[in-house]
Amino acid sequence: MSEKQKKEMTKSQILSKEITEEYLEEAFRAKKEGRIVCYTTAISPVEILVAHDIIPIYPENHSVANLVAKKGAEMCSFVEGLGYSSHLCAYARCDLAYRATGRTVTRGIPEPDMFLACNAQCFTLTKWFEVLSRKGGGLPLFVFDTPQYIRDRRAREEIVKYCVMQLKELIALIEDLTKRKFDYDRLREVLKYSREASLLYRRFLDMAQYKPSPISIFDALIGMAITVYRRGTPQCVEYYRTLCDEIQEKVEKGIGVLPKEKERFRLYWENLPIWYKFSDHAKLLSSYGAVILTSLYVHAWSFEFDLDKDPLYTLSENYVSRFSNVTLEERVDMALELFERYSLNGMLMFMNRSCKAVSFAVPTLKEILTKRTGIPALVFESDMGDQRFYSETQIRTRIEAYFETLEKLNLARG
Amino acid sequence: MWEDMSLEDVVRCASDPYPSIREWKRKSGKKVIGTTFADVPEEVIQAFDILPVTLMGTTKPLKRAQALLPDNACSLARSNLELVLSYETDLFDGFVLPQVCDTTQHMSDIWRINVKADYFESFLAPRQVDRPSAKYWVRKEIDRLIDSLKNFSGKDLGPTDLKRSVEIHNENKRLLKEIYSIKNENPSSVSSKEFFSMVKISQQVDKGEFNRSLKKIKDSLKPGKKEGYIDVILCGITCEPIEIYGLFDELKLNVIADNLLIGSRYLEGEVEDGEDLIDKLTERHFKRGFFSPIHGNVFAEFEQIKKLYKEKNAKAVIYVHIEFCESQEYDLPDLKRMMKQEGIPMHVIETEYQTTSLSHIRTRLQAFIESIKGI
Repeated sequence: MSEKQKKEMTKSQILSKEITEEYLEEAFRAKKEGRIVCYTTAISPVEILVAHDIIPIYPENHSVANLVAKKGAEMCSFVEGLGYSSHLCAYARCDLAYRATGRTVTRGIPEPDMFLACNAQCFTLTKWFEVLSRKGGGLPLFVFDTPQYIRDRRAREEIVKYCVMQLKELIALIEDLTKRKFDYDRLREVLKYSREASLLYRRFLDMAQYKPSPISIFDALIGMAITVYRRGTPQCVEYYRTLCDEIQEKVEKGIGVLPKEKERFRLYWENLPIWYKFSDHAKLLSSYGAVILTSLYVHAWSFEFDLDKDPLYTLSENYVSRFSNVTLEERVDMALELFERYSLNGMLMFMNRSCKAVSFAVPTLKEILTKRTGIPALVFESDMGDQRFYSETQIRTRIEAYFETLEKLNLARG
Repeated sequence: MWEDMSLEDVVRCASDPYPSIREWKRKSGKKVIGTTFADVPEEVIQAFDILPVTLMGTTKPLKRAQALLPDNACSLARSNLELVLSYETDLFDGFVLPQVCDTTQHMSDIWRINVKADYFESFLAPRQVDRPSAKYWVRKEIDRLIDSLKNFSGKDLGPTDLKRSVEIHNENKRLLKEIYSIKNENPSSVSSKEFFSMVKISQQVDKGEFNRSLKKIKDSLKPGKKEGYIDVILCGITCEPIEIYGLFDELKLNVIADNLLIGSRYLEGEVEDGEDLIDKLTERHFKRGFFSPIHGNVFAEFEQIKKLYKEKNAKAVIYVHIEFCESQEYDLPDLKRMMKQEGIPMHVIETEYQTTSLSHIRTRLQAFIESIKGI
């Protein structure tokens, strides 16, 4: 990073960099200090680990760093040579390539001692962790099984009860591994930080309601990283407070991603981002007066922990009910709520080859959302990490045609 | 309807069981519930005097499912959805859809929204099986399924309904095991295609009736020759289309053991007798091997296959990979590596439910046989 770039960094960017570096330093030091490194999934009750002084590491985030750096095709095709299918998750393929070659655009991540997979996000991560656990000679893998949060009050009560039982089993496992008693008071403290950070993160996301919006989904995605890997810490709270203050200042000055008069399309995005097209997409869309404001994906980390409840209960309730684990009808309701709250007038629906779990819903979701909002959707297929499945001209042409359609339907603003 | 079937009838029915189910439904006036593979306790559905039918895809062309699913969705899932959207649209009164992986979880919503039926229920199978909470959860889910079926059928379970259903299912599994054992020793008396057709339709027709056919078939089997056959172990989830077994027979590959869902994993599912049969059904969930593809203990699967291979003195392992089954795709590279290290010849066949031409599978099997001859 050049001196000029450093000088141009905002307070929150500086803080984010410091928090990340400190976290990784601590993680690499952990082994020497006799601490446990646990690989976990982005959506998992990390508060339990933090409270027990276990370092959570997210192979997904590490893969994202490589995918953003456009290493996806190279790493994924290497793994296919080892016998893995090109249809598997690009995060997993990228990670397996890193394991086999040691090549990465970052300094890498420390080796794991155990795994915690929560299938409210997807089951793919469990399978990927099974592979890693085998390669580690059978390292402990704890699957926090979150059955689909079906819309039946009695069933939901039972599901949460089952999840609480499992969290107790997780606690017993880590007590056994560390030979240390779990401290529930410490968990309450961690949960307090998690709650505060979550509320601030949600406030940050919700600033996309302003017109013009001071943030786009690209800001939301960059801002998401800290809540993924530092939930439950005071640093996480400090980061989001700083971020919110910065964005609020923009709001007060009327600064938007696009100037107010140019912001014509406020878009919803379905699915994970196409990591290697991040900045290209931002530029392309802004040339049409469009800005993607939100998605259910970024909202997945806006938890609503209730500190008056038993900590294991509120953890279970929150983790089991993420958008990826509720019924499709409820997912529609969640999306519709965003349409209304953020005054959206367009939607880009990405069929992500790498994420079947999220993509399964896309065709049906699109049908219902279009019917309920009267807004047509652009559905396109690609891969979040493997550039071999991205067709540049086809996607550009379709985006262009989509905005023409919105114009014809008089859906544009201004 | 299914009580007096010959082996030829069984094979014919296994290729397309639905016309006979339709006729049975018309004659009996009873309800039919469709389920998908693996974990739904079919004894419970049968106890309500409803016919549980496990859906096993279709080889007919895809027309509507493609528009509803990603193009790399599991071939079996896609084919099952097509079956109920395009071909058997009015046969089923309802569905109990088990959720065992990402595909089955999200499919159940798509199914509920797009398929017409009076009744939908999800069976939320645990996706971890080694801890006490899993057992608690299976019991809770079976209880919930019973309540749900009570609401749907308007009937309560009588004191002997479940017991009677369990007995019929157990008898079916015992008869199939006996026939499997005869086939192992006398492959020319009952072919792989005939045997696996029996296992397949056991999961689709009225077992009370079909058991009578199985008894007669078993008693009619005459000792046949074993010479010229190569004994193989068949692995995977399911093997479709059923004509693949015809290739095994043609090439004289005798499936002497397997771990398929339409094979041994189903046959292992006898429920013990006891005071609390729901508890016994719960226990069964954990006793039969690898009932769902997601509990990927590849080490255990390898040990199981190795044991079968050695015990049965088999010459090779044939693994059936359903196209786009993610669970299998994560496990296969390690399984292959372990087999290779152990010196066990293993051949992987890729299957896709809409496949109509099997010549490529024949050629690959022929080449594989040539490579293992002399072992």
